[in-house]
Amino acid sequence: MTRSGIDWGSVAIFLALMALGWLNIYAAVFDDSAQAGFSMNSRYGSQLVWMGISLLAAVVIMLIDEIYYHILAYPSYLLMLLVLLGTLFIGTEVNGARSWLRLGGFSVQPAEFAKFTTALALARYMSSYSFSMADWRSRLYASLLLAAPMGIILLQNDAGSAVVFASFLIVFFREGFNPWVYVALGMVVFLFVFSFLWTPAALLAAVIVICTVMEGVMNGNWKQKLRYLAAVTLAALTIYLTATLLTHGNAGFYGCLLAAAGLSLVGVGIYAWRAKLRNVLVCIGMFAGSVAFTQTVDVVFSHMQLHQQKRILNLLGVESDLQYWGYNVNQSKIAIGSGGFFGKGYLRGTQTKYDFVPEQSTDFIFCTVGEEWGFAGSALVLGLFCWLILRLIRMGERQQEPFGRVYCYGVASIILFHVLVNVGMTIGLMPVIGIPLPLFSYGGSSLFAFTLLFFVAVKLDSRHKESDDHRNAPR
Amino acid sequence: MMNSRAKIISIFVIAAFAILLLRLFHIQVLDDSYKRAAQNNVLRKEVQHPPRGEVYDRNGELLVRSIASYDLMAIPRDVGEFDTLALARIAGITPEKLKSELNKASRYSRRRPSVIVKQMSLEAKLLFDEGDFAGFYTVYRTMRSYPRKMAGNLLGYISEADAATIERDDYYQKGDYRGMSGIERTYEEVLRGEKGMKMSVVDVHGIEKGPYMDGAADLQAIPGTAIVTSLDARLQALGEQLMTGKVGSIIAIEPSTGEILVMVSSPGYDPDELVGRDRGNNYMKLLANPRRPLFNRGVMSRYPPGSTFKLVNGLIALQEGVITPGQRYPCHNGYTIGRGVKCHSHYSPVNLRQAVQMSCNTYFCYAFRATLDNNRYDGPKQALDVWNEYVESFGFGRSLDSDLAGELSGVVPTRETYDRIYRGSWNSLTVISLSIGQGELGCTPLQMANLAATLANRGYYYTPHIVKRIDGRDSIDSRFYERHRTKVDSRHFDLIVKGMYDAVHVDGGTGRNAYVPGLDICGKTGTAQNPHGQDHSTFLCFAPMDDPKIAVSVYVENGGFGGSIAAPIAGLIVEQYLTDTLSRPELVRQVTNTTLSYPYYDRQQ
Repeated sequence: MTRSGIDWGSVAIFLALMALGWLNIYAAVFDDSAQAGFSMNSRYGSQLVWMGISLLAAVVIMLIDEIYYHILAYPSYLLMLLVLLGTLFIGTEVNGARSWLRLGGFSVQPAEFAKFTTALALARYMSSYSFSMADWRSRLYASLLLAAPMGIILLQNDAGSAVVFASFLIVFFREGFNPWVYVALGMVVFLFVFSFLWTPAALLAAVIVICTVMEGVMNGNWKQKLRYLAAVTLAALTIYLTATLLTHGNAGFYGCLLAAAGLSLVGVGIYAWRAKLRNVLVCIGMFAGSVAFTQTVDVVFSHMQLHQQKRILNLLGVESDLQYWGYNVNQSKIAIGSGGFFGKGYLRGTQTKYDFVPEQSTDFIFCTVGEEWGFAGSALVLGLFCWLILRLIRMGERQQEPFGRVYCYGVASIILFHVLVNVGMTIGLMPVIGIPLPLFSYGGSSLFAFTLLFFVAVKLDSRHKESDDHRNAPR
Repeated sequence: MMNSRAKIISIFVIAAFAILLLRLFHIQVLDDSYKRAAQNNVLRKEVQHPPRGEVYDRNGELLVRSIASYDLMAIPRDVGEFDTLALARIAGITPEKLKSELNKASRYSRRRPSVIVKQMSLEAKLLFDEGDFAGFYTVYRTMRSYPRKMAGNLLGYISEADAATIERDDYYQKGDYRGMSGIERTYEEVLRGEKGMKMSVVDVHGIEKGPYMDGAADLQAIPGTAIVTSLDARLQALGEQLMTGKVGSIIAIEPSTGEILVMVSSPGYDPDELVGRDRGNNYMKLLANPRRPLFNRGVMSRYPPGSTFKLVNGLIALQEGVITPGQRYPCHNGYTIGRGVKCHSHYSPVNLRQAVQMSCNTYFCYAFRATLDNNRYDGPKQALDVWNEYVESFGFGRSLDSDLAGELSGVVPTRETYDRIYRGSWNSLTVISLSIGQGELGCTPLQMANLAATLANRGYYYTPHIVKRIDGRDSIDSRFYERHRTKVDSRHFDLIVKGMYDAVHVDGGTGRNAYVPGLDICGKTGTAQNPHGQDHSTFLCFAPMDDPKIAVSVYVENGGFGGSIAAPIAGLIVEQYLTDTLSRPELVRQVTNTTLSYPYYDRQQ
């Protein structure tokens, strides 16, 4: 009972990131021709104010008994839904999204706080006695808890903030969600991306190989898998040759391969029934689903908004439009790429100083890190984030109650998602999705929300750490 | 102890960060293209144009200089409300033109500077600076100016390098000036200097943020080098005056060096016309003038040399031994063998000296036939080969390789020429016109002046050249120091020179009009038949006889008899050069006021 039980290491990493973030906002705004000096009216000035407010909130959080987070989980969740709905009607529109609320002199983005309340509510629900991942009703309710805020935010036309909620899938996985769902999701992403880059026949071949390998992972007997693939190839070629002869060269290989694979499924089905291997059916289902999805990618794509389509096409290199749709990412890559190993030096990035990257103090703040601090600085920042996330996972794991575990995982997942997507977008690995880099991007709502998320996790952890210490103390 | 799914998640986290780091390592450390792209983004390279080198005459008089000029630039985005009328007046253009240039500039780029008006004067620039024209500014360039307003087609002009030049030569960029003709072209690389480069940093809007690397990477422009030409400006001015109303050329050479003292090509033009805003209009006018003032006739036209060429034939015959100084030939108004060649009335028979004095056609027909029918050779064809070698040694039929832009080589017919014309069947009589400098011969005035210099030197010449000294260099091109000997021994020249002396000094001589008391001018007239009308009048001479200081060739198109107009011009040039005075102002006035008519040219208009 001597020590507070606070995970000071994590807090230190958090504060370090916050400080580094502020330095980069200063650099992004800095203009050496202006003689104004330090100004509290600038972005770095107001960010400093928000940092103070956030840290004050952090102290308050540490003083509140953790029981209140249990009690307040649902009410705050419902309240937040109402605020989100209200924003939908009375909010201010920024960049085409009606996601900002004007409160007196400043604006807040409720979606940032919805992550926090959703994390609490999910933790509360998934730690209740009646909850079981095996039960479809529990899964449904948990999903609804996610879907409600996500849906409203989508209606606000803030797709970036909405996708962040997908990060809770990591929490679901930890709590025992069927891993095949993740394989299927991975497959969807794979098919979506490669349907732009590969011919349908090549994509189909890849799907056949993936499903076969998957079956092999489950049931072994690799020689049989090789024989199967050879047989399908042979059948496809035979059909192709025959069809070419019959149609005088007008046969498509895609159709032939699909026919061969379809025929083989009959054999595979009989084999599965005889060998009593029900999981083979999973693979067959995966195959059928993949083929069906490939056909519908175009439909999905055409329902996206133009800027989303263009961002995806530019990311995949299908289109290269450096003047308009691809301008941001190109300039961002130039900024980061020109940093070299040690960077150009603080306040000496030419891309940064001379405003070549739009939105540089908000969504593209990582450009400043990359350009001025180079690979070394980027690696340091990413390393700190990675370390913080791993510590949050460890925090979650050492909780005795599921509530704390689910919550900590939620925080870790949200930060992870933000960092991967944001940094990925600045270096051309992810499509442009307008979500901030935690603790770095300029913006009070985001900074405050991440502080709430993190310090509640630290608070929940502190009690268990205390009791750990107590238990381990010599008797 | 750790949950297996927690392990999977941890591995996923680490793997995801590893991918980000690998990608970062790739674009930041391995791939250089982003560094270049970042440089291209912020670097603005501004060319600093050096002033072109000056051109002086042999006495240090300034012929061409560079004066400050200013291009009016505009950045359309920054252009606010301004007094269109005032600016148009300052810039010397109409308000409509100003508006259309601005529109053109904004179509090109709203943020980048465009040239609105080129070559404004310093006065215009100062007026501009007093006004308030946001978004406009001036940049320093230079333009040519010609204090003596002479020798336009010799000095040449400059103009913006065309697309083909820019493509071919890395030095030139759009908007750079380049010598297009004359000395400006020949000595382009000396005169142009070295462009400098100012590098500054700009932001995303193209707005300058200061020097790049504090100017350490800038390149200072190096001004062009001055050239001292061998031209004598006073003599040149006299030459141009004397050629008023006539088409043709005067060239004077210092025989002991090959330096060109005068090079008049008439009609000429005031070189200042091809500078500044009116350049385009004036250029088109000059181009459309059927008398072709842009054309330097001294090296770019080919004329029949006429009787001046008899000197060459006489020297060859002497060297070949087919005539002797005392040998006489009868002449009764012509050479009567074959188609015949007419001659004027003079006493008969004549020896070589007298034949030169009186320009006897008949004598040179005999001498030329003797050269071609020399039985040392296997027929006239082989003899013509030998003749060709002699003629070429005088600098005919090939470019002299002077430093004058566009120098032609001239034409001397060879065995092949006649084999083609006469299908192989010809003899000394067939080509008899060569004896008196007619027929298939074509010489540039420079080649004829060079002949005069060769005669003055009694058998050798230096390649004629216009450059005397290049600032900062000890010497000019080595080819100008090389003595070219003809294949005729110098002892044979004395007799010819005596004949030339007689032509000017003794009654019955054809060049009496070139006579200046006290100056022993040696000369030879030429009257060249041509298909364009009246005979061309030509005269070549040098003086003084024993220590020649100047060799002159005058060629007046359609001027009639060589002695009538070309000879007095040559005499005046020599007099001015040797005595620095003109003792016969009445003759100067008379020659100046002589206007010839040129139906051949003027019909084309």
